[in-house]
Amino acid sequence: MRLLVNGASYEVAVHPERTLLSVLRQELDLTGTKYGCGEGNCGACTVLVDGEATRACITPVVTAAGREVTTIEGLAKGETLHPVQAAFVEHTAFQCAYCTPGFIMSAVALLGRNARPSESDIRSALSGNICRCGAYVRILRAVKTAAEQLAQAEGKA
Amino acid sequence: MNLRDLQQDAGLIVTGAPQMGQDAAVPGGTEATLLLISKQGEIYAFSGKVEYGQGIRNGLALAIADELDTPIASVRVILGDTGLVPYDRGTTGSASTRTIGLQLRRAAATARRTLLALASERWGVPLAGLGIREGRIVQAGEPGRSLSFVEALQGRRLTVSIPEDAALKSPGEFQVMGRDAHRIDALARVTGQAKYSRDIAVPGMLHGKVLRPPSYGARLARLEKARAERVPGFVALVQEGDFVGVVAESEEGAEQAVASVYARWDEEREHPSDWDLPVQLKERAKELAVVRETGSLEAGFAQADRVISGLYFVPYVANAPMEPSAAVASWEDGGLTVWSGDRSPFGVRAQMAQAFGLGEERVRVIASEIGGSFGTKGAGGAAYEAARLAKAAGRPVRVAYSRQEEFIWGTVRPTALIEIRSGVKADGTIVAWEYTAYHANESEFRGMRGSDTPYSIPNVRVTVARTESPLRSGSYRSLGGAVNHFAREVHMDEIAAALERDPVELRLANLEHPRLRRVLTQAADKFGWGAPRRGLSVGRGVAIGYDAGSFLAECVELRVEGREVKVERVTAAFDGGLVLNPEGVRNQVEGSIVMGMGTALWETVEFGGGRPLNPSFSRYRVPRITDAPQIEVLLVGDPETPSTGAGEPGIVPIAAAISNAVYDATGVRIPELPIVPHLP
Ligand code: FES
Ligand code: FES
Repeated sequence: MRLLVNGASYEVAVHPERTLLSVLRQELDLTGTKYGCGEGNCGACTVLVDGEATRACITPVVTAAGREVTTIEGLAKGETLHPVQAAFVEHTAFQCAYCTPGFIMSAVALLGRNARPSESDIRSALSGNICRCGAYVRILRAVKTAAEQLAQAEGKA
Repeated sequence: MNLRDLQQDAGLIVTGAPQMGQDAAVPGGTEATLLLISKQGEIYAFSGKVEYGQGIRNGLALAIADELDTPIASVRVILGDTGLVPYDRGTTGSASTRTIGLQLRRAAATARRTLLALASERWGVPLAGLGIREGRIVQAGEPGRSLSFVEALQGRRLTVSIPEDAALKSPGEFQVMGRDAHRIDALARVTGQAKYSRDIAVPGMLHGKVLRPPSYGARLARLEKARAERVPGFVALVQEGDFVGVVAESEEGAEQAVASVYARWDEEREHPSDWDLPVQLKERAKELAVVRETGSLEAGFAQADRVISGLYFVPYVANAPMEPSAAVASWEDGGLTVWSGDRSPFGVRAQMAQAFGLGEERVRVIASEIGGSFGTKGAGGAAYEAARLAKAAGRPVRVAYSRQEEFIWGTVRPTALIEIRSGVKADGTIVAWEYTAYHANESEFRGMRGSDTPYSIPNVRVTVARTESPLRSGSYRSLGGAVNHFAREVHMDEIAAALERDPVELRLANLEHPRLRRVLTQAADKFGWGAPRRGLSVGRGVAIGYDAGSFLAECVELRVEGREVKVERVTAAFDGGLVLNPEGVRNQVEGSIVMGMGTALWETVEFGGGRPLNPSFSRYRVPRITDAPQIEVLLVGDPETPSTGAGEPGIVPIAAAISNAVYDATGVRIPELPIVPHLP
């Protein structure tokens, strides 16, 4: 089966029902996507599939075949962080940061479909992600900052 | 990397006791390498602490960079690798920065003094005019003259021990400490590069999974393994007594194999359930320890115009860090290396050495990044399991817990039942205070924390009993501190309500402690405590607290809507003395508030039949971003007072402040956690 991950193409010989999370982590060695619950409850495993936030832990790899998968490792362009990543750094929107890749991917998906989200849009888009360290107020701040920055960049373009 | 190579390649080595005031009885002795400067000019600092989100790597790097006036990029902090770092008892949140940070600052100050002395000799000028700027030694009034550390060392290899009188910078001289800065590990964390325990892979590694008994204390009666052996990728099955584990080529293979094992267990018949707890806690209480006895309760109650009694209950709650436990173990030439996400690498080393009959020098434990702990991950369970399986399989093995395993086999915060009786005069003066707490605990100490009252009461008796714990209880942010504070600060509110007094004012009337008075007044002012109510279902609550040497007060505003409680804003005033890293402190206090909201409103481990019944995030409700209130943290400490803990204190007042605010909104007093299921 052919997987398109972060712009690269991989031929993988795996059981089609295996989870996308397991294939990313074990076969492609992309360990930035995390396991937190394995049942779709925590968002730690969030990746983009064709731009949409997807829980990799409950997604059979076959459903992602041939579609565009983006993980946390594929977000920065060379040395330049994605604005959501940069905003997480700026606001220290984490403590242990185990949840961070999942939150960032959920936020990127949100900003992809809604460039000017309200605070409640942000909250509901991230409601499936858990941060047990409780960095929520910082995460909110970071996503707002990233949204403003993207809007500004758009305005200039 | 090993320590000997680093030492060989060093230009300057600074040694000292791993922690301030450490005694010689500690393994590893009193002198250890704390800091070194390599021949290339890199600065290495060593600490047995681990990073589980509290930002210790960042805090230590800032402190060293500041004492040495050197760019932070040249400082490498090595944490929790028993092959490299000095012995450490284990990381327990709040004490880290204080003890280790201070000693590493002294090590850096020693390096500074040594380097300046070398430059003074070389240039033939007095020490007084020399300083360091941006990692180069400079002389006042000689702008053209400078030396790098490497040049100052001139190829020498010096070892110096920290002198008694190592002079530290004063807060006014700090360049980076005390200011807001991005965390140095931020980049790795937002790009997915940071390696947590279950991200570690070594060549030839297999995957292990342990067969879990159906209930605590169950004994294996019969095992059939034929089906497991036929699972594709199966490598080995290990049975040693009641321990059964399988090893396979992939994680899924191991899961499938363990699910294919047929096992019959003999289970204990009598298991308590969470319903039995309040009664059991008191009935099975072991020795009562008197924490404080002042004055005479009898005389106190005789003077009182009112006697108020309360009973408070706090259930078991789960730490549930986002990263479930994991470890990798590898045997080579009879020696063992373990990569683990435990918060006590030296504890794990001792445990492994004992379990396998090895000398401690044959075991190396390397701490990975840790995806949250809050007190759990201290027992080395995954590490031990991985080491057993790796030994049997003859290849490295990783054991990574599922969420359910973490819920069931991780530790939980002990439950407690607390009785308070207070005697109060009509003017609001508390004259008698009788406090009896029953904490489900193996260790008395845990229940004692925070049990004493900080109010000025002439007649006091505080006693704490430990009692059997049906679940695997362990540490949790501030241990019993948050539990004891809940009871005491709700009771203070009950006194205020009984006398129709304002809760802030009644507390102040009974409070002499200057630091607590200050945090309470400042939190209440900033919060707008006196402002008129915003609506019928809106309530306000307050509570104060002390923990890990720090003091704080929290004010909460919330809305009760049907059977939901929406916390809208929290104002905290925190006094942790001198603040070296304000962003880090605010972050910790905010996180503690959010975590404490969960324990206040929803969290409880339901159990019965010898196991937790809700081991999943769908049945164990934790705070989510939709629940997050506005949080304002005021740092009000005096910079002349030494730094105290910041990782835990934030949690101690919050549950009481929330319960008090629910009372304010609804007129219903809820002395039992979690609150939401008890709403009328
Ligand atoms: S790991 Fe996928 S949602 Fe929790
Ligand atoms: S930062 Fe630790 S779980 Fe979010």
